[in-house]
Amino acid sequence: MSEELAKEIIDNFSNTGVSYTSKYRMYIQTPKEELFRLLEYLKDNGFKYLVMITCVDWINENEFELVYQVGNFNTPLRIIIQVRIPRNNPTYESIIPIFKNATDYEREIHELFGIVFDGNPKLTPLFLEDWQKFHPFKKDFDSREYVKVTFDSIPTLEEYK
Amino acid sequence: MDRGQLSKWFKHPGIMAQKYSLWAVYFCTGCGIIEVPPSITSRWDAERFGVMPAPSPRHANLFMITGYVATKTLKAIIRTYELMPEPKYTVAFGSCPINGGMYWDSYNTIKHIDKYIPIDGWIAGCMPRPEAIFIGVTKLWMMIDKGAATGYKRYRENYEYYRKNQEKLFGKLPWPPLFPIEDKNEKLTV
Repeated sequence: MSEELAKEIIDNFSNTGVSYTSKYRMYIQTPKEELFRLLEYLKDNGFKYLVMITCVDWINENEFELVYQVGNFNTPLRIIIQVRIPRNNPTYESIIPIFKNATDYEREIHELFGIVFDGNPKLTPLFLEDWQKFHPFKKDFDSREYVKVTFDSIPTLEEYK
Repeated sequence: MDRGQLSKWFKHPGIMAQKYSLWAVYFCTGCGIIEVPPSITSRWDAERFGVMPAPSPRHANLFMITGYVATKTLKAIIRTYELMPEPKYTVAFGSCPINGGMYWDSYNTIKHIDKYIPIDGWIAGCMPRPEAIFIGVTKLWMMIDKGAATGYKRYRENYEYYRKNQEKLFGKLPWPPLFPIEDKNEKLTV
C-alpha cells in the first residue's frame, strides 16, 4: 500500500520527495504551499489522526522545519511530513480546519519557537507564565547566559546582609 | 512515648506539641512526590513520626518541596507558603531545589530555592529514599528542640530580600506583600 501511495503523492504534488527510513516510516518533503492539499489528501486516504507537530530550528540555513506526523488506524505506517519555512518573522497557516487537535501543538510551537499560526484562536502562553519576550527553543538563545543573569546573579541571604 | 522526655513535656509543652504534630502540605512539585505516597501509607507509615498530609495549607506546618521547581510552580509554592500559619517549617527534598541538580542550565527551573523562600532542612539525593524523609524529620525535631528551625522568622525579618527576588522573576506579583516592606526612600524624605 505504501508504495502505491508514494507513487500517487509524487505524481499529484509538485516538488515533493518521498523517502523511507524503515518499512513503516515514510518521510515526505514538500513545499509550504502544498501542505494543506497534501494533508487533506492523506486524510481522505485513511490517515485520519494527527500524531504530533514539532519544529526544528535549522539556524545555518535560516529556516524552521515543521514536522507533521499522521497515522492510520489500519496500518502501522506513519507518514512524516517536513515543511520548511523562513526563519525571519515566521508565519504559517494553521491546520485546525483539517485536524482539530493541532490547536495545542501549534500553541506550544508558538511559545517555544515564535512561529505565528494564522487561524489559531488560542496562541496564549502554555507552559511559560510571565515570560519575557524570547523563545527558548531557538538555537540562538543562550540558556547558560540566561541562567547566569537570572538565577546565579542573585546573592544569597548572607551575602545580601 | 519515651519516659525520658517527660520533663521536657512539662517544661516546654508548646515546642513538644509542635514537634510531634507536623502536618505536611500535600503539594506535588516534581518527581520527588513519587516517594511521598509510600511514606505516608502503610509501608513506611509517616504517622508514627507525627507527620500527616494536611488537606489544606491553612492546616499545615511542614512544607516539603519535592523535586525540581519550575518558575510557574514557584509562584504556587510562594502562595502556599504564605498561606500556612506560623510556625512553619520547610524541607527541600532532592538535589534539584538545592542547586538545580540536573537542570543546572535550564532556563525554566529555579536553581536555589532558598533565595525565594526560607528553607530549614535539606535532604540530598536524586531521589532520596523514604527513609531519608524520616531521618530529615528526626533532624527537624532536633532543630525545633534547639530553636534552630527559624525559617519563618527569617522570612519575616528579611521579607524585603525574598520579595525582591520573587519580583525579579515574575515582575509584579498579583498579591500584596505579606509583611510591611520599609520604603527606604520614604525614610530619607521624612
